[in-house]
Amino acid sequence: MEKAKISLYQLFVLIMLFELGSAILVPLASDAKQDAWMAILVGMFGGLFLFWINYRLFLYYPELTPPEYMQKLLGKILGTFLAFCYIILFMYSAARVLRDFGEMLLTFAYLETPLFIVNALLMLVIIYAIRKGIEVVARTGELFFFFIYFLAITGFILILFSGLIDMNNLKPILEQGISPIARVVLTQSLYFPFGEAIVFSMIFPYLTNKKKGKKIGLFAIGLSGINLAITMAINIGVLGVDLTARSQFPLLSTIQSIQVAEFLERLDVFFMISTVICIYFKVSIYFYAAVASTAVIFKIKEPSKLTYPMGMVILFMSVTIASSYAEHLKEGLKFITTYLHPFFLMVIPLLLLGIAFLKNRKGGPGGGF
Amino acid sequence: MKIKKFLFFLVILGNILLLSGCWSKKELTDLAIVAALGIDKNEEGRYVGTMQIINPGNVAGGLQGGGGSQGPPVSVITGTGDSIVELSRRASRKLSRRLYYAHTNLVVIGEDLAKEESISTILDPLERDAQFRSTAIIVIAQGSKASDIVKVLTAIDKIPSNKIIKTLKFTEKTWGENITVNMQDAVKMLVSPGKELAVSGFRLSGDVDKGKKMENTQETEPSSSLYAGSLAIFKNGKLTGWIDGETARGSVILLDKLNASAFGVKWEGKDEAIIYELIRQKTNVMVKMEKGKPRVSIEVQAEGNIGEASVSTDLNNPDVLLKIEKEIEKKIKKEITMALKQAKKNKSDIFGFGDALHRSNPEAWKKMKSEWNDVYFPEAKADIVVDAFIRRTGLRNIPHQVNK
Repeated sequence: MEKAKISLYQLFVLIMLFELGSAILVPLASDAKQDAWMAILVGMFGGLFLFWINYRLFLYYPELTPPEYMQKLLGKILGTFLAFCYIILFMYSAARVLRDFGEMLLTFAYLETPLFIVNALLMLVIIYAIRKGIEVVARTGELFFFFIYFLAITGFILILFSGLIDMNNLKPILEQGISPIARVVLTQSLYFPFGEAIVFSMIFPYLTNKKKGKKIGLFAIGLSGINLAITMAINIGVLGVDLTARSQFPLLSTIQSIQVAEFLERLDVFFMISTVICIYFKVSIYFYAAVASTAVIFKIKEPSKLTYPMGMVILFMSVTIASSYAEHLKEGLKFITTYLHPFFLMVIPLLLLGIAFLKNRKGGPGGGF
Repeated sequence: MKIKKFLFFLVILGNILLLSGCWSKKELTDLAIVAALGIDKNEEGRYVGTMQIINPGNVAGGLQGGGGSQGPPVSVITGTGDSIVELSRRASRKLSRRLYYAHTNLVVIGEDLAKEESISTILDPLERDAQFRSTAIIVIAQGSKASDIVKVLTAIDKIPSNKIIKTLKFTEKTWGENITVNMQDAVKMLVSPGKELAVSGFRLSGDVDKGKKMENTQETEPSSSLYAGSLAIFKNGKLTGWIDGETARGSVILLDKLNASAFGVKWEGKDEAIIYELIRQKTNVMVKMEKGKPRVSIEVQAEGNIGEASVSTDLNNPDVLLKIEKEIEKKIKKEITMALKQAKKNKSDIFGFGDALHRSNPEAWKKMKSEWNDVYFPEAKADIVVDAFIRRTGLRNIPHQVNK
């Protein structure tokens, strides 16, 4: 474990940037049609619960990282195996988000550049940042957070003033009843992006104020959920259900529709900058979790030495996981969230919490609440 | 130490190579900026694309008396192919530059093509392409080929595509028989089962061959010119008819897109005696189910001033204004009724009543969706309520009288 200190504000910023990450890029929860925003909000509440589980688990062992307490709870062999599974999940997720980044740039701006080059450029920066430690990433986050919000608020005002939003597009509410929303929540929005906050378990031990971490974390997830729901509602309000679902990047199409006073138009760069920044943080955090977990399991004293080899693995994985963008999306929004995430993001943490509760029945949780 | 310096130098050198961003560079002088794209179909059934390309040297400096005005501000090339992408790429054989569509803000579709097949086949490649902007405006070449509209040179706005767009924009703001529809709107309407597409047409008066020459722009009254035409009604993506005049304006009112206009009403026995300048208008459409049938209620609110009064009337008297308001309401109602009748005749719900029903009664809509345009829309009864207000009468109150 490296010697880093993460303040509450830094945790808040990191969670916000992480959650927005690739979720603002894709047509999130678009299977719920005009109620996508609702599906996102419901998913967010589920995400709050998942976050609470992880934090509660952490409070039992406030000095340990997940691989360590997994070993404590499940025994050496089983715990190591499970922690190893999580490393693979984190690396795979990092590769996925990196691929999102590359696909976005290639679809929309750099049509003739090879995917590998684009991904490599971002990955090199991320490797460099993680070599310097999580604290550096956190401080960078503080800097960029304001920038992202500035872009978001400016964009929001411009969309409002160009009179593009047609609230009628969001009606009729609950046309097909609750079942499509429930399906989308359970197979997508609960895990992507909210349940993914499980990676922050690797960062909790560095918190300066461990008691308040839970409150801040829940607040960050709540706020990011509201932001995503507003973004999706605006997308549907501007583009309509059909166009939102057919767009590879609905937010891009929304921003491209802005035309204010004949000269405030073609603001595609707003979209580019904000997604590049958010994705940078999402990949960094996943990558950090993978590197730190590996260092813990294999007792490596200098985790920074792992960054280059593991970074290269992620880079190559990002290019090879799917042969087309359609395949990539299908895997990400359908397969993984249906088969992989429920198990790793919900079932196992619940199980671990149960075991921890039974083991610590007498003493009570370390943090005490 | 020396090795360190050498390494540093090497890194800088590497950066120069890697970070200069020349991967797929396109020099400005290698780009042919397409201002407008016209699409037709030829006798063999292949698409013909006509690209209006900006001639940078001839556009700039015209006003300053610089050497700009020698040649035409735009050049036109055509490409033929079985698909839009093919024709665009094939056109490169005729051009010394790379076609660049990021500034294309006008798409002209030939009338024959729009009648023959669904225009969604044309819109798909344009919507899909990353260069093409979804805010490009669509017009139909009324009574001519799209290529003719694209080829004609115009006088005040030198780039013809700008002339067409600005004409549409300003006539929409002052007269209101036309609407500007961009590609994104068009696709939305094509997709929605509860709303059909309506697009403005553009016409050419005079001869194309004369319009192509620079002399055309050097006359005070160009022998060939472009002007906004009627409103094209679509059904299932195909052009089914044109509406113009008061019917077209009635449609624009129903679409809630009328910004301003002028209505003439009969007063004291004289036709068009009083002209009402509308400055603000709002239309609310509600569709409800009544005894298993859709019933449309249309509420229109209009605000405006008196712009012209050619018979002697006491415009100081509020009661008189109220009476004139009644006449205006009748007039607006008549135009709306005409528009409704025409759309029903064409069996094309361009007003989006289906969408309104979808919002108010999703279940009923589900049943009617497939036959909405053919069965339910033409049968739907409509209640029209118009509220017109005269706010001001301009700088004078009563009109002047000769030899009083």
